[in-house]
Amino acid sequence: MSGLAWGRRYLMCPPEHFRVAYEINPWMHTEVTVDPDAAMAEWMGLVATLRAAGADIEIQPAVEGVPDLVFTANAGIVSGSQFVPSRFRHAERQPETEHDIDWFEAHGFRIDLLSEDVDQEGAGDALPFGAGAGAGGRGPVLVAGYRFRSDAAAHAQLSKMLNVPVRSVELVDERFYHLDITFCPLDDRRAIVWPGAWDRFGCRVMEALVPEALVLEADEANCFVANSVVVGTTVVLPSCPPRVGRQLEAWGFDPVECGINEFLKAGGGCRCLTLALDVDLS
Amino acid sequence: MVTEVVEVEGHIIDSLILAKVLDAILAAGADYRLLDVAIGRTSTDTSIARLELTADDDAHMAALLVELSEHGANKKAESDAELVAADEDGVLPGGFYATTNLPTAVRVGGRWSDVENPEMDCGLTVTTGGRALTLPMHRVRAGDRVVVGLDGVRVTPPERPRGRSAFEFMTSNASSEKPKGVLVHSVADRVRAAKEAGGRLVAVCGPAVVHTGAAPGVAQLVRAGWIDVLFAGNGFATHDIEANVTGTSLGVPLAGGEPAEGGHANHLRVINEVRRFGSIKAAVAAGWLTGGVMYECVVRDVPFVLAGSIRDDGPLPDVYTDMVEAADAMRALLPGVKVALMLASTLHAIATGNLLRSDVETFCVDINQSVVTKLSDRGSHQALGVVTDVGLFATELAHQLCD
Repeated sequence: MSGLAWGRRYLMCPPEHFRVAYEINPWMHTEVTVDPDAAMAEWMGLVATLRAAGADIEIQPAVEGVPDLVFTANAGIVSGSQFVPSRFRHAERQPETEHDIDWFEAHGFRIDLLSEDVDQEGAGDALPFGAGAGAGGRGPVLVAGYRFRSDAAAHAQLSKMLNVPVRSVELVDERFYHLDITFCPLDDRRAIVWPGAWDRFGCRVMEALVPEALVLEADEANCFVANSVVVGTTVVLPSCPPRVGRQLEAWGFDPVECGINEFLKAGGGCRCLTLALDVDLS
Repeated sequence: MVTEVVEVEGHIIDSLILAKVLDAILAAGADYRLLDVAIGRTSTDTSIARLELTADDDAHMAALLVELSEHGANKKAESDAELVAADEDGVLPGGFYATTNLPTAVRVGGRWSDVENPEMDCGLTVTTGGRALTLPMHRVRAGDRVVVGLDGVRVTPPERPRGRSAFEFMTSNASSEKPKGVLVHSVADRVRAAKEAGGRLVAVCGPAVVHTGAAPGVAQLVRAGWIDVLFAGNGFATHDIEANVTGTSLGVPLAGGEPAEGGHANHLRVINEVRRFGSIKAAVAAGWLTGGVMYECVVRDVPFVLAGSIRDDGPLPDVYTDMVEAADAMRALLPGVKVALMLASTLHAIATGNLLRSDVETFCVDINQSVVTKLSDRGSHQALGVVTDVGLFATELAHQLCD
């Protein structure tokens, strides 16, 4: 098996200025201190694990004053040479966007902006799935989450800008404020899913979309198991419960646990720390 | 009750967003009407739905709008209609709004005004006094303020009644396979209900009404006061008069038997005599015409419009030979009409259908199903067809209403 078609090239940002400076999700508590050395060691460990799995890693320079820049998944959405920067909901993260645009412009991407009246937090709330699920049975669909950080009204804009069918999924549990904590595409047919974070309509949409799902238990979902990074057939998980590991292996995947506990203090896992640069939705 | 219009765009069908939005509206105790849904052509194309919401009061509406906006359904910004002055008589400004026969409202100065006389295929004008009126092309006068474009125009789409209605058992618009007795009974009930509510009834008759022996039934309906307005052509009136003066229809005795000697000319002689009298009314006054549908109309003061066509013999002196004048004469008789009976007529039925508002209950009786289809295809979607012999239908209807 060949595994996931995309996910061999990632953008990551070192946690030089990472800390819990504000509280914008239920996992964040400003009284909790981040151990900067431990955070850097975990991040370096993730880089090494992804490289070992065969991924190329591009580095975005850290910037002081924007601690969450480390979560590159929220920079925006990539499709081919097109980049749609995020419109962050919280003022705390909005200053990240200019740095994201700078990086992508400098690397030859065309920048397409969403209108100012909608919020959309990049790949954190938008993941491609399926090779035959898109237009005319070709290409992927873009699964897009909304409510806590992104607006459903942004989805029609995304569809037009990226020329891709969108499946909107409403998130209903604030602990799972981004889609990428509830959904991890493994290949064209399989995905790790946490339906407990979706409304009943979203559950039906995803049931119709994903032929084979690894459905998490609540405690597994709470450990950010769905916030994993897939490189070919290697699945890099923030933690790997035995049941999940056995199922992944039975499907032919190679699960690798990569602790990123310092980042869980800010409500982010492995996926949040990466942004796939080799996604092509068209 | 307050209403608002919201729009939701995206892959709203596949993502079940539309289903969710509709669900949320009902769960909030509000109601909705789908104004239109444009489904994307390919799976990449987005779809757009426009919904009219109805809630008990402003507070409920405000809460509902907040909830719906979370699913991407937002209030549509409303704008005034664009008004352009016509620059010459008889010509609408380019890009004029073309009307339907549905209830329509126009927004001017932030206020919605209902169009007083919905009629399809016209322009829309707003008077300086703020009245919104449909305007047939030939009636345009230079300076009339005409609505251009689609902004600021709201059309209420047709809605099949939710409660019990005469035709709720009908799933198709035409009824070749429905029991006729039940249908006639239903039509009779609807006519009774409309008349009791003060509505008027227009009958549109084709020549076959006479050939099939339906004329005595129609005459009885006029005599008993059920028919308030009659539209027909030269043919129907001629054959009706011929039948009552010579006992033939196109020379064939209606009572049975061989075609009368030289009977093919009977209708020409009849037309000629009426032309000598000067009008059908004069022929009745002279005691020459003593029965039939046209006779009953004259003696009961039921107004009629006979609209001619290029193949008419004569025509009868009462026939309008200018089509624009004929349509205007028909228009003038339609206010208050709530029921239309189209009896074995194709061209006059369509002409009448063009002038009727969408809320006029329209029953189209013809042996040929295509007439009903034609009427619907030309925009008279309210037409319900009864596919049967008009002779049987009219006789039975008269029996049910008059006996």
